[in-house]
Amino acid sequence: MDAANTPIPPAMAEISEAPSTSAAEIQKAEAEFDSETMRKTKPGLKRFALTLTVLLSFLSGLPFLWKSVEIYRSPLPFREIDDLSAAVELNPLQFPCRFEVVFVDFGRTSSTANELSVSIESHMRKLAEKDSPSCGACNYNSTVSVALESASDCFRTDGDFNWKCGALNGLMNKYEASREDGGELFDDYLKSLLNDNGSSSNGGKVYTVIVVRREEEKHVSAVVGKYRHAWIIGNISKEEAVKKVAEVFVNTFVNGGKEEGSIGGEFMPVGSDGRIVLSFNLLNANPNDWTYDWEFQEIDDNILSPIVEALKPLADIRVESQVLYHTPKSSFSYWDDKLESYIYTTKDLPFFVNSNEWHLDTSVAAGGRSKILHFVVYVPSAEECPLLLQLPNGEISKTNGFISPMWGSVAVWNPSACFKDLKMDTRARHKIPREDLTKTFEIFIGQLRQLFGLNSKNHFADASGTLRLLTSERGFSEWELDFLSRQHTCFNLLQCTTTLGSLSRLVQSLPRMIIKDEIGKQVKYSLEAAKLAVSNVSYGMYDASAVFSRHARSFAEDAFYHPSMMSVSYYSFEHCFAVYSPFFLPVSLHVVLAAVREWKRYKLESRKYNTWKAKKM
Amino acid sequence: MGNISTPLLSCLILVLFFCSAIPSTAFSSSSSSSSTMHTNNWAVLVCTSRFWFNYRHMANTLSLYRTVKRLGIPDERIILMLADDMACNARNKYPAQVFNNENHRLNLYGDNVEVDYRGYEVTVENFMRVLTGRHETAVPRSKRLLSDEGSHILLYMTGHGGDEFLKFQDSEELQSHDLADAVKQMKEKRRFKELLIMVDTCQAATLFSQLQSPGVLAIGSSKKGENSYSHHLDSDVGVSVVDRFTFYTLAFFERLNMYDNASLNSLFNSYNPNMLLSTAYYRTDLYQRLLEEVPVTNFFGSVMETIHTDSPYRALSSINSRKSKIEMRLDQTSRGGQRILESSDVPQESTDSDTRDKQVSFPFTHTWNTILWRIENMKEMNYLVNYGLALMFPIVSFSTWLSR
Repeated sequence: MDAANTPIPPAMAEISEAPSTSAAEIQKAEAEFDSETMRKTKPGLKRFALTLTVLLSFLSGLPFLWKSVEIYRSPLPFREIDDLSAAVELNPLQFPCRFEVVFVDFGRTSSTANELSVSIESHMRKLAEKDSPSCGACNYNSTVSVALESASDCFRTDGDFNWKCGALNGLMNKYEASREDGGELFDDYLKSLLNDNGSSSNGGKVYTVIVVRREEEKHVSAVVGKYRHAWIIGNISKEEAVKKVAEVFVNTFVNGGKEEGSIGGEFMPVGSDGRIVLSFNLLNANPNDWTYDWEFQEIDDNILSPIVEALKPLADIRVESQVLYHTPKSSFSYWDDKLESYIYTTKDLPFFVNSNEWHLDTSVAAGGRSKILHFVVYVPSAEECPLLLQLPNGEISKTNGFISPMWGSVAVWNPSACFKDLKMDTRARHKIPREDLTKTFEIFIGQLRQLFGLNSKNHFADASGTLRLLTSERGFSEWELDFLSRQHTCFNLLQCTTTLGSLSRLVQSLPRMIIKDEIGKQVKYSLEAAKLAVSNVSYGMYDASAVFSRHARSFAEDAFYHPSMMSVSYYSFEHCFAVYSPFFLPVSLHVVLAAVREWKRYKLESRKYNTWKAKKM
Repeated sequence: MGNISTPLLSCLILVLFFCSAIPSTAFSSSSSSSSTMHTNNWAVLVCTSRFWFNYRHMANTLSLYRTVKRLGIPDERIILMLADDMACNARNKYPAQVFNNENHRLNLYGDNVEVDYRGYEVTVENFMRVLTGRHETAVPRSKRLLSDEGSHILLYMTGHGGDEFLKFQDSEELQSHDLADAVKQMKEKRRFKELLIMVDTCQAATLFSQLQSPGVLAIGSSKKGENSYSHHLDSDVGVSVVDRFTFYTLAFFERLNMYDNASLNSLFNSYNPNMLLSTAYYRTDLYQRLLEEVPVTNFFGSVMETIHTDSPYRALSSINSRKSKIEMRLDQTSRGGQRILESSDVPQESTDSDTRDKQVSFPFTHTWNTILWRIENMKEMNYLVNYGLALMFPIVSFSTWLSR
């Protein structure tokens, strides 16, 4: 088939000798004929065509070979990654939040609802400017809805404000009734009154402050409930009320009630696969003195499971527990006569955890990249009991515990035996009394909140007086969970984009690296989840955005840490050459050489024939 | 301790070539991590040689292991890579014991030695996996370096090295580019806050010459062209038991406990070139803090960052007192308190068909894919073979007709 390309028509391959006309001519011709340089017959093409066929069949196989040794690289969406990181880095995520204020009994004043709204907004902006724009903050551009209500009439700013006018009558009765339980009842009543499901039609959570002016009250009480509202009741002027409302919005609802000195936002105690294992450890320092056990199952069912449920959007949390023996602490303590107890100070805290004796990290449930937070109840031995923590100002710690960021926390529990100084049966296993255990777990919840960067005090001091914060039995109040969701979404998205960005840089800089389909898929899922998270942010779906951002981060980390990424070009060109040349080189050389030789021979022979033909002419 | 000049794996060089092609700008995004708090300490201790005559390298590593453990780094945060063929070696006169001094006062192989990577597991690949964190899912937590942006990591390596490489068990080598690349990737993923690399090999300083990542401090036992020598020979054991650099490091740490705050500077200045017979070289240009101000326990010990808990979260004790009230309005709270997960959209699992569509990047792949797809879909391969055989006859006859 390829012979068709050759210049000489194949039909003339063999030509019979030219017919002789006369003997003289023949003689003449034979005299001139030189067998070295001439030939009378046309050279044959058979051998050349055969070698060429073999060579061509080899050549036609080359693309297949090339394809079969190609390094597989799953196509990664580099541009999408760049777009996403540009989008996330350029404009920091801001969540839509809605703020509503109800002023009750402020009488008919000169300022209208709209004016109040504007002045609250300006106060909020001023407050928000002070602290640096943190990732995951609320968007302050949304308007503050204001309702003004008095006995006779009711004014509202426009917008979908779900405050029902005329609900005032029941309000104060409930408030009075709820006085002795600290406002819990009032909180629930307001919840039912506002009848919010937490989000408004245009997205974002709705935070409400109700300001009631009562001239008969001496003090102004400001309370933040465990849902998404707060109330300020007392003899308060309008200007003060506006300032206070703005502070409540910015400091608590938006910034999560953080105070100076709490741990920074960079410590996210969530593993990169979105999991946390809460490991609760009961350490008996010296079981020869006494041995304690606990009813952990009960605690888990009653106290921990609501918290785990509440934190579900942020992390996939598992709970484990263990009891360890012979676990002395590694710091020193000294006897204080005045306090009649052993004292350790805050300077000793870094040495308290005895990592060589406390075998805490025994979890089998925790996967490679999930986070373990250790919660340790330390039962001191008889030689160091009761053991108390002294603060730098000389006071004794109320909690007798401390945290270490990203690691967990320790709480010391002094058994009653060491106060009474009575002999205990050392062989018996005692149970930690229920009240003590509850108290210890209150400390643990406080420490868990601290690890998440939240404050556990039941009041919050700001510029104008204190705010009381109600506690939720689920460990985190609604507005705190909102804050955590916002913060974690933002952190996860940033982490996801940086991880994907470094992955794409790594992949682009290593052209011979194998990239499996799995990595491509993980990157794709990660991008999809990140986009969903961003779109949920704009719709104000906090929990969903937290969940998707968590997935985005964990997929991105999976892709980056994929074990196959280590096999960087162990398969190099030289390797390829070294592997395949013993198979193909000897044969291919022969084939090529044979083709060349035949081609040369054919050219030589045809030249001979041509010269003979020229002579004959 | 001669130089080993023949590269053992040529492909590694290629790895280096490609790795070094990563632009340095790619790793500049981690500057913000310098503000984070130091929260934990990790140690990666690697002995890269095996066989009896390298006894001293294992003794070096175990001595360091003992020291960092004594100063407070827990076992779960120490990755120990060790050939571990000395204690039970047939030539060991003291079975199950390893000494780093001829006085035999301290048995390094005493109790609680947790070797994470043992014997033939000590490879360049595993070492790189430990540093970069790319493990198979089945690898347990104890074998992983689970450090974070608040971690200080001590990386100690000993063995036989040469100009810009460190030999791993006579079969592979770690190049300085490899190390630099791994450290870069660690920095990029914020796997450490500060890293101290300590190398006790010949020409140790060459091993960290390629490092570029900020926050890395490196010290080596010898400069380029210098050998690192063993300290002394134990005539009972029959081999040298410790290297000079490690010996004087240990001598420094013998005087310390975990409460001390001797600075790194005092450690680095304690190396006397006349005693080492080589020059301990340290590289500080990537390290921001002043060595005088950094306590050695920042790397060799573990000091926890702790914060006192001010107050418990008083939610539970109040529950019990108001149990009746809660029960009264239980229905209300359970309805209102439930956070319902809602979403604007549901993530759509992509099907295989659209991944196939997306793979089409250039025409050849496309045609190749269609061919592959056809072949896969062809029910009976016999047909193909038969057609091929049948096709051969016309080809052969055609070619013979040509050459007739």
